[in-house]
Amino acid sequence: MSRREPLLPNAARVAAREYRERVRSRLFVVSTVILALIAGTIALGPLVIRLAERTTVQTITVVADEPAVKSLALGSLDSILNLSPSGTEPPGRVRPYEIQAGSTADEEVAAVEAGTIAGTLLVERTESGGLSFVFHTAGQRGSTTSQLVGFAALGTAILDWQSSGELDPGAGAFRVPGFDIVARSGATEGGRPVDPTVAASRSFLAIAFVVLIFITLVIYGMWVAAGVATEKSSRVMELLVSAASPEQLLVGKVVGLGAAGLTQYAAILAPAGVILVIQELLAVVIMGPAAGETVSLAGLTPGLLLAFLGYFVLGFAFYAVIYAAAGSLVSRQEDLQVVALPLSLLSMAGYLIAIVSISGGFDILARIASFVPFWSPFVMLARVMVSRVEPWELAISFGLLAASVVVAAVVAVRVYRAGILLYGQRPGLRLFIAAARRGD
Amino acid sequence: MSLVVDGVVKRFGAVTALDGLSFEAPTGQVFGFLGANGAGKTTTMRIALGVIQPDAGAITWDGRSTLDLPRAVFGYLPEERGLYPRMRVLDQLVFFAGLHGVPADQARRRAREWLERLRIPELADRPAEELSKGNQQKIQFLAAVLHDPEVLLMDEPFTGLDPVNASLLREAFLELRERGRTLVFSTHQMETVEAMCESVAIIDRGRLVVAGELREVKRAARGRALRIGFETAGETAWLDGLDGVRIVRPGVDEVELALDPSLEPDDVLAAALARGLSVRRFEVLEPSLEQLFIERVGRPAGDEASLAPTRAEASADAERR
Repeated sequence: MSRREPLLPNAARVAAREYRERVRSRLFVVSTVILALIAGTIALGPLVIRLAERTTVQTITVVADEPAVKSLALGSLDSILNLSPSGTEPPGRVRPYEIQAGSTADEEVAAVEAGTIAGTLLVERTESGGLSFVFHTAGQRGSTTSQLVGFAALGTAILDWQSSGELDPGAGAFRVPGFDIVARSGATEGGRPVDPTVAASRSFLAIAFVVLIFITLVIYGMWVAAGVATEKSSRVMELLVSAASPEQLLVGKVVGLGAAGLTQYAAILAPAGVILVIQELLAVVIMGPAAGETVSLAGLTPGLLLAFLGYFVLGFAFYAVIYAAAGSLVSRQEDLQVVALPLSLLSMAGYLIAIVSISGGFDILARIASFVPFWSPFVMLARVMVSRVEPWELAISFGLLAASVVVAAVVAVRVYRAGILLYGQRPGLRLFIAAARRGD
Repeated sequence: MSLVVDGVVKRFGAVTALDGLSFEAPTGQVFGFLGANGAGKTTTMRIALGVIQPDAGAITWDGRSTLDLPRAVFGYLPEERGLYPRMRVLDQLVFFAGLHGVPADQARRRAREWLERLRIPELADRPAEELSKGNQQKIQFLAAVLHDPEVLLMDEPFTGLDPVNASLLREAFLELRERGRTLVFSTHQMETVEAMCESVAIIDRGRLVVAGELREVKRAARGRALRIGFETAGETAWLDGLDGVRIVRPGVDEVELALDPSLEPDDVLAAALARGLSVRRFEVLEPSLEQLFIERVGRPAGDEASLAPTRAEASADAERR
């Protein structure tokens, strides 16, 4: 039997102390500034990529059953997409698009999806004798490229109508061709495909969010483990356990350091967010009015932010209580890495799965990993942002993670209760299990 | 109303740290809790605080299990000293008092008063890592008393203190006792216990050896003590070889001896004279606590003890009883 003590107000007092001491520390301030600079630089990434892409040649292929139509389309695309802004071809000018004849529709679409070509224009003859165009693009639906391809398609149809009139005077009036754009990206919103601009933004944000969640769990988790280990090695723990219960100490530490982590988030993300918001303006300033649309915060919805916040809070709570338990088994700061390494490796595995899944890899593994509590904060978050996720999948993932937080907290308190008064024993899994079984 | 330790048993794996320990520390007294290293003093204190649970038995205060009482009833000065190294002294004291429910402004005022009383007011705004060990110890003492607990449990409070600071701490103890607080402390310094404690308990390997009012405990000592001094220096070593005699406090020309109950002081005097020595001082003493401790435990308080007797030792003990 032990004392039945409410978490409050002592957990709040411990949390307040942890928060105050953490955000006042020089290490916190320095790391925040450095990370804010890194985040700001990453936020400038899309702009830099677009600057670089200005000098990159993009390949667009044409697939058409009729050789004459194919030839017309190739010519139209080349003349419109590679039209010099000045109207004349200056010497040494790099033509921004390479227009090629494609093989089959399936192969070309696959090439677009793989990112080896920028787009493919599929041309078909309709029953009414007109033409129908479908442009599969790796870019965005409303991009400059898509619009120019639309003009080229219209030009091709006019030329085709003209040539058919010459061959068959009874061919009839010009029919406006069908033109559709298919963005080959997989992001969905409630099961429906999302706008390519949003999809591109989401891919960018997914990487940013997964990196942030990873930082949260590893770095902030280590704060918790190191904090417990310091209290133990400095022996202040002896005084603490006489004044507060292990539950109050553990929860207070996790909440206080979690709040300090959120503060650091805010300090890091605020400048990066401002850069992303003003990126359109920067693009116009740097590249002129024809800069077009950019990868921005277009994909960020309140729902996604909520998912991020949910996975941050639950993921941090889950990892932090385990880190606290691990820290309680350490008598010396030097041993901290020994107990922290397995957790770091576990979270690293989830991080890698998430990063690969953002670009479409590890499909089955990512699906499974998005339900595993150790990995779901990374993997499900990535899936939600860039691919199709059913609401029930999200609910199960959150439910499992929340239940795991409760189980982990109960086990962690038992380990912590026993561990904080253990000195001189070799930390490891065996000691962890022994402490969890004893809980005293 | 008193702190009652009642049949407490605590095992750590195969080791029995406390083996049916029972004693009582009366209210409003300074109580000495004595035992060799590893005897089970710290374990007893941790159980009283509810930090660890006993396997059997209970510790009560005022008739209620200590687990049913708020933590603030107790103040604890652990043997292992520790503070938050980078936190300011005043902030630490306010934090610890806050955990015991003392409002921050009140805690701040009390902390400054106590710092004045212990003659270290200038340390209030310093981080703990800049303090000397003695001063850190004083700050820890303040962390234990700032919430004005009814019972103060202190594990070796005088270790590492210089005579001036030890004296300051003793004064603080007596002041707390005057205010009706109950102080229980463990120490190896028997003189301090004799000077300050009304009651004591001596434990060995998790079991009670003797407990009660200090006067009564000392009266129950079977052996006698003797102080003998010689005219010539360096003539004391032979006493150690005398049957039934043990040198408690060695010296060059004067020693304190503990005598077995079978031996009379006159026997020692006769032996000295028989050796042709000139006896300058001869005094029969009341047995000291240290002497009593050695008589009952079999070794000085500073010696290590194994946590539990082996099975053979335990049965031998039982036979002796």
